[in-house]
Amino acid sequence: MLEHAYLIPLLPLTTSLIILLFFKEDSHSPAPYLGLAAMFWCFVQSVVIFYGAASGASALPYEANWTWFSFAADVAGKGFTVPMPIGILIDGPASVMLVVVTLVSFLVQLYSLGYMHGDPRFKRYYAFLSFFTASMLGLVVSSNLLVTFACWELVGVSSYLLIGFWFEKPGPAYASKKAFMTTKLGDCGLYLALLLIWAKFGTFNITAMTVSAAMPGYLSTAAATAIGLGILFGAAGKSAQWPLFIWLPDAMEGPTPVSALIHAATMVAAGIYLVGKTYFIFVHSDIAMGAVAWTGLVTALLTATMALVAYDIKRVLAFSTVSQLGFMMCALGCGGYTAGLFHLTTHAFFKALLFLGAGSVIHAVHTNDMRQMGGLAKKMPFTFATMFIGTLAISGIPPFAGYYSKDMILEKVYAYNHVMFYLLTFAALLTAFYMFRMVFLTFVGDDRDHEKHHHAHESPWVMLGPLVLLAFLSFVSGFGLEHGGLFERLVNFKLPEGLVPETEAPAHLGLYVTGLVVASIMLSWRLYGRNDFRLAESLKSRFSILFSVLENRYGMDALFLGLVAFCDRVAKFAFWFDSSVIDQFFVDSWGLVTTLLAELSALVDNIFVDRTVDGFGGLSMDAGVLLRSLVTHGQAQEYLMYIAVAVSLFTILILSR
Amino acid sequence: MTLTHYLTLGAIVFLIGIFGALTRRNIIGILMSIELIFNAANINLAAFNRFLHPQGVAGQAVALFFITIAAAEVVVGLALVLAIYRNTDTVYVEDFSLLKG
Repeated sequence: MLEHAYLIPLLPLTTSLIILLFFKEDSHSPAPYLGLAAMFWCFVQSVVIFYGAASGASALPYEANWTWFSFAADVAGKGFTVPMPIGILIDGPASVMLVVVTLVSFLVQLYSLGYMHGDPRFKRYYAFLSFFTASMLGLVVSSNLLVTFACWELVGVSSYLLIGFWFEKPGPAYASKKAFMTTKLGDCGLYLALLLIWAKFGTFNITAMTVSAAMPGYLSTAAATAIGLGILFGAAGKSAQWPLFIWLPDAMEGPTPVSALIHAATMVAAGIYLVGKTYFIFVHSDIAMGAVAWTGLVTALLTATMALVAYDIKRVLAFSTVSQLGFMMCALGCGGYTAGLFHLTTHAFFKALLFLGAGSVIHAVHTNDMRQMGGLAKKMPFTFATMFIGTLAISGIPPFAGYYSKDMILEKVYAYNHVMFYLLTFAALLTAFYMFRMVFLTFVGDDRDHEKHHHAHESPWVMLGPLVLLAFLSFVSGFGLEHGGLFERLVNFKLPEGLVPETEAPAHLGLYVTGLVVASIMLSWRLYGRNDFRLAESLKSRFSILFSVLENRYGMDALFLGLVAFCDRVAKFAFWFDSSVIDQFFVDSWGLVTTLLAELSALVDNIFVDRTVDGFGGLSMDAGVLLRSLVTHGQAQEYLMYIAVAVSLFTILILSR
Repeated sequence: MTLTHYLTLGAIVFLIGIFGALTRRNIIGILMSIELIFNAANINLAAFNRFLHPQGVAGQAVALFFITIAAAEVVVGLALVLAIYRNTDTVYVEDFSLLKG
């Protein structure tokens, strides 16, 4: 299985092309089943690979490279050929990610059978889903950073296509553009980092780079910092970290299963995974590590507070995703390589669950606004139960998955920096608060919109099945993966000495945090759970300024729009300068001078030169005409006479000498 | 009869030929005048041969050649005259002014 791992990205890619090119748009089209079959095969293969890795049967990392292209280079006067292989590298993190991505993608595709039923672009949807997954899988398995970058961009393209899937509506069209542009901004950083990597390492092969970077003194701190910050900026774009998180809440305009895919497995995981993949560079620079940690912390805090005031059920989940990604970033920055990727894995399960659950709710009530929901628990028991499990998991209640990963993160952060730990714990409390707020507003209490409540119904089994499976995974994946240090064994990174302080977190830290989380949930219950919103309303009116700041997302959107408007102004000014000053003044006036000079030259040419020439010509002609009239009458005897006279004259002349 | 006499005769015949060629209007007359010029030259050749190199025959031979060539020339000339006459219905040279500039 391992030696055929290249099939994992190639199969969905082929599937998507086949669906796109050879299938007709038809609500009974077999396209979804083809996509599902391909994804199921990938999932099986991933599980086999993961099982081999977990049981120690197969030796990881496994690497295979094929020739892609090569080019001639000339370095310091010596020419040689540089090969650029394309290949796969399956290491511990990749084996885990493969299972996560293929499983979530499979479940999302299964779920979409119900959710997207009857959509006029059903086939195209499945083609895009396969393409999206293929891009992400390529990113995961690639052994070459250049290929990773290509897949990274393909992920961006597919997210653009899927967020803007209902492109005839202005919202999705705008959101897809926003997502694309924002992530592109981040990609500039990644691209610069790639250039630096090529300049520094002379290869994009990750294994070779790891070996080089491990040599003492090979990678200077300055170089590592520059490369790390570039990668971080790219990852911030893709994984929606501060300050580039603005696109993710808008990305909710896409179909809900797509949101689940983006948030759990494909798009936003890419940034974290890339930082993990290039971790060997980050560990050479305190600054880069610190930047990662603080970026994650700021993101986690800011977006957690934003989620407090959101009323759109998907927005709440979107903010929570960004916040959780902040946790992962923060963990990576604090040296918690295992913790960050562990949270990435568990988060994928419960966030996919939550999004698919939210999709189920939206499918039932046809609105995203939680103010029009309420009391849906009786109508949709399975959705409620599974979403409740997901909420417990994300809040970090033992023994659900989120507890283990979040606990691991907090321990690492505690060892790294106490202030950071308290702030991150606060973000974790906020997480529990807003997640339970969402559950209470949606499922508990009285129905606030009777008509919508009346028409609500439980979703079909094709949608509930994935929910149940994901709920099960949200329950078991925490202790299942932590059991016997399995995850630690698969995903670990030996940090250099002295990078992070060797402080041991106090015992039962997780329990203290859990206590606080429970208190936070109680508070949420007090405010939103008892069908009595007076306290919440009074708080809202008392801190209305704070609320409006949060609702406006700290003005980050306005800031970026302002930035765009400013760039627009600069561009307009540049255009004006170009057209009015450079074109009209310099280019055009220079042209004018040239024209004038040319006209002057033409004048001189016409008057003096040409007329002189013409004059000589005319003179010859006139002389010719004159002489002709003198001598030529067409009389042969006349000519003969001239000859005779001339001969006589010459004869006389010669004889007289 | 000395060389001078023959040369004088040749000169007189030559001048008559020139005079005829310049003054005759009829093209046939001009052709005949040109024949006179030829024959003046032939007289001179024969005379020089007789008086300056009596033992050689080169001058007489050249004269014979000239007579032959003159005959050929007259053939061509008369053919041209005929062609011109057919086109213009005249034999007067002042009417032949096609090449007038």
